[in-house]
Amino acid sequence: MTIHLAILQCAARLVPGGERADWLAEWRAELWQVQQRGGWRAARFCLGSFRDARWLRRNAPPDAEPRLRLESPTRCLGLLAAAAVACFLLARRFQSAGNPLRPGWQPLVAMLYVAAMSLPILVGTTSLSLGEYPAHRNGRRWAFFAAKIALLLPLVFFGGLAFWTVLGGMSVHCMLVGYVMVFRWAILDQRRRCPECLRLVSHPAPIGEPSHVFLEWYGTEFACVKGHGLLHVPEIPTVSFRTQKWVRLDRSWRALFS
Amino acid sequence: MVPEPKLSHTAALILKAIHAGDGYGFSVMEMTGLPSGTVYPAMRRLERDGLIRSQWERQAIADADQRPPRKYYKLTRTGQTALEASERRYPLLAKLAAEEVERR
Repeated sequence: MTIHLAILQCAARLVPGGERADWLAEWRAELWQVQQRGGWRAARFCLGSFRDARWLRRNAPPDAEPRLRLESPTRCLGLLAAAAVACFLLARRFQSAGNPLRPGWQPLVAMLYVAAMSLPILVGTTSLSLGEYPAHRNGRRWAFFAAKIALLLPLVFFGGLAFWTVLGGMSVHCMLVGYVMVFRWAILDQRRRCPECLRLVSHPAPIGEPSHVFLEWYGTEFACVKGHGLLHVPEIPTVSFRTQKWVRLDRSWRALFS
Repeated sequence: MVPEPKLSHTAALILKAIHAGDGYGFSVMEMTGLPSGTVYPAMRRLERDGLIRSQWERQAIADADQRPPRKYYKLTRTGQTALEASERRYPLLAKLAAEEVERR
């Protein structure tokens, strides 16, 4: 497999399962065309597939999305905790020379150090904005976010240590990349949660048109399944609609969602 | 009266390229000069909005040309109306088609 096909295969993992084969066939056919015209721009062409795959993932009907069952905040934290414990046990099972779990090392300091090193990369690659939400529910949201981060820290660190025997010093690089990915996931996940019940919002619906952005908004509307509110995510950020906004629905709307 | 569908300049450019060109993704990229990360998601959006529809070409045709089968896009009736409205809004779009004809 060439590097170009490997890029397409990676991007294909983002595409909802039902559309994946068709999507990959189309991109492979197009790649063949690009390579006929001169391969030097094939890599750049293939990197564009991530944006396409992301668009399909974001606009897929709820049933088409792969489900890890992370909708509920309790289940999300439970799964992260279980994964962190599993990684810790694996790291202990495979501890070896140079592994920071040896007596005398300070795993906590090492974990925080590697995590801190990933922050500049995260800031450079991900928007840190979590959107506009009503202030009175921010405490719960931040507590949930902090709990996710607290569980992701050992998950990646011990996950990296579990492979120390195989990867040696490269494990640290893997941890660095891992931290960037999980922190990015934590932020994206946080943006898709209802501030009231902390469940993932669902039922995406496209709203507006691209040419109307000056007078109204254009983007995707998500709804909380419990009827707490609607999440408006702009497709094209504008001065008046720079980031996602939460629209709270009062109790009279609940009957529609029950 | 049914309101005319309005498109952004980029969407109109892509619609025009599909209409005037060969109708597959890379040909749209070549005509418009837009990168793949812009063209393909825009085509998905146009297809979702019912302005274009896609169809795979027959394997036999691709085999005859010794290449993988392409996915072709065509304008729907709504897409045609949207394109006509866009050409009135963006007169330079017509130049794109003329240049393509000249290039061929």
